[in-house]
Amino acid sequence: MNTMNLTKWLIRIQGKATDAWRAAWIKRSRSILGAFFFYFVIISLAFVFVYPLLYMISKSLMRPQDVADATIQWIPKEFSLRNYKVAMDYLNYWPGLFNSVLGSFGSAILQIVSCSLVGYGFARYRFPGQGFFLGLVVFTFLVPPQTIVVPLFRMFLDMGMIDTPLPIILPSLLGHGLKGSLFVLIFIQFYRRLPNVLEEAARIDGAGAFRTYWTIMFPLARPAMLVVFLFSVVWHWNDLFEPSLYLRLPEFYNLTQNMALFNGVANLDLQSVTSSVSSGALGAAPTLQNQIMAGVMLTLLPILILYLFTQRYFVESVERAGIAGE
Amino acid sequence: MSKKKGLSIRGRHILEGYMFISIWVIGFLVFMAYPLGLSLFYSINNLELTQGGLQPTYTGLTHYRAAFGSDIAFRPLLIDTMQTMLTQVPLILIFSMFCALLLNRHFKGRGLFRGIFFLPVIIASGAILRELLEQGAAKLPIFLNYNLFYQLRTFIPGDILENLLTYADMLTLVMWDAGVQILIFIAGLQTISPSLYEAAKCDGATKWESFWKITFPMIMPMIFVNTLYTVVNSFTKADNSVMTYIMDSVFKSNNYAYGSALGWIYFTLITIVLGLVFLVFRKSLSASDSRG
Repeated sequence: MNTMNLTKWLIRIQGKATDAWRAAWIKRSRSILGAFFFYFVIISLAFVFVYPLLYMISKSLMRPQDVADATIQWIPKEFSLRNYKVAMDYLNYWPGLFNSVLGSFGSAILQIVSCSLVGYGFARYRFPGQGFFLGLVVFTFLVPPQTIVVPLFRMFLDMGMIDTPLPIILPSLLGHGLKGSLFVLIFIQFYRRLPNVLEEAARIDGAGAFRTYWTIMFPLARPAMLVVFLFSVVWHWNDLFEPSLYLRLPEFYNLTQNMALFNGVANLDLQSVTSSVSSGALGAAPTLQNQIMAGVMLTLLPILILYLFTQRYFVESVERAGIAGE
Repeated sequence: MSKKKGLSIRGRHILEGYMFISIWVIGFLVFMAYPLGLSLFYSINNLELTQGGLQPTYTGLTHYRAAFGSDIAFRPLLIDTMQTMLTQVPLILIFSMFCALLLNRHFKGRGLFRGIFFLPVIIASGAILRELLEQGAAKLPIFLNYNLFYQLRTFIPGDILENLLTYADMLTLVMWDAGVQILIFIAGLQTISPSLYEAAKCDGATKWESFWKITFPMIMPMIFVNTLYTVVNSFTKADNSVMTYIMDSVFKSNNYAYGSALGWIYFTLITIVLGLVFLVFRKSLSASDSRG
């Protein structure tokens, strides 16, 4: 009786031990499986995001014979920069780059200065009609630029500002411009989170409102600035709407405008090529496509490099700037 | 100066506040209110280009009636844009939420993946670049593979499969549009205190439960912000067909008045949709307000 109980008990313990061991094993294998699955999902998603870039790089490096070669899918036999040379000529690269950098960086810096000032005013002061003005900021974000383009264009035309950079500079200077209201909102969110102590200390030391802002608060807004700067540069860089409206002289053309021209010319060429396929011009069209891809790469390269260097700080900054509301 | 000195502290505070936002208000009056009013005025007039400038003659709602009556191109474009908006906005929201949840976990290479997930904002935010990419790079080879198409066809009936594949194609576009939304969601997820999850875990909540009971309600304001942003973005994107149509009627056919009317119709539509979004979210937002 006693021994039987003992053996029963032993078996039970053993069973429990194996159970525990098995549970641990299942747990571990499950977590390995989970990690595997997690990485599978995230890598395949990342692939979709990187794919256009890889596609462009691969296509832009191909020579005509590589395009014709059926064995080549991704990696050309020999890397050739010929497409880039052609695209550079078409794009009028260096003057275009200069205009692009000047336009987007200039607007971005102006927008940082003005939107931060306005955002600070909204975040740190309480005044009558604040809700109303805040509503107007959101409202500005909602109005499609096309609704007001005609009067705006007429206005700038009457003031003789067409074909000068002023129609882009002036709105940026006043906290508007391309998605200006969004940037104001970002700054509002950021300044709201800062503690009051710094400001109070500065005020007690006798600094005026503007000086407090400029010497104490503005330098603290670096995370928000970085976010706004990158967004503004990228959006201005890729924007075709404003420059093609207001800067119509060829010497003002930036890279994106040149790229649009290049693409337009190439499309025409492509049509004539495909319509004359019978005359033996086969193979030319894909090469043109490769040159366009090289052109796109050249247009994007400067902001890609900028993103590469700021990317690490950027994602951090988004968290600290608190893009999202409270 | 002496008058300023006489102001109370509160009065000075108010004055300083107005000073800070004054540049924006001036900008608003010049670059928003005035053009907006003028375009409304244009839209109810006939404009004739004379030597003295534009000569308006009042016509009432003719242009608005024309937009829905004699113009055969505008209404289909409008409906089309609405449909794209209605299908894409939920997809973008779900997808960006999913990505943000993935990227918010602690794992090796998180910084790298975050950098990659934001890449489309850099690459695909311009109109031409987008157009170019859509020709080739957006089409993932998996969906173009005909072998796969025929293999799938044995399981799924043709019509549904076609639709599914168009959806799959659209998905890459949706993913490209989700960059900013992913960022907003990540920023939101960061604000949720980890102790909430710990408490829930102690009470025996599964991950699924704690998502619906903690993450989802806490992130409700961000869902609202993202919905607004996505709707506005999908309406005002540079490659939006209604936008191009309006621009064409303004600058190609020089029909300023009609273009302004179209712009106002479009703007009104956007406002209505956003009003609906507000209505839908009002209840859940006030709920999360009272809790927080």
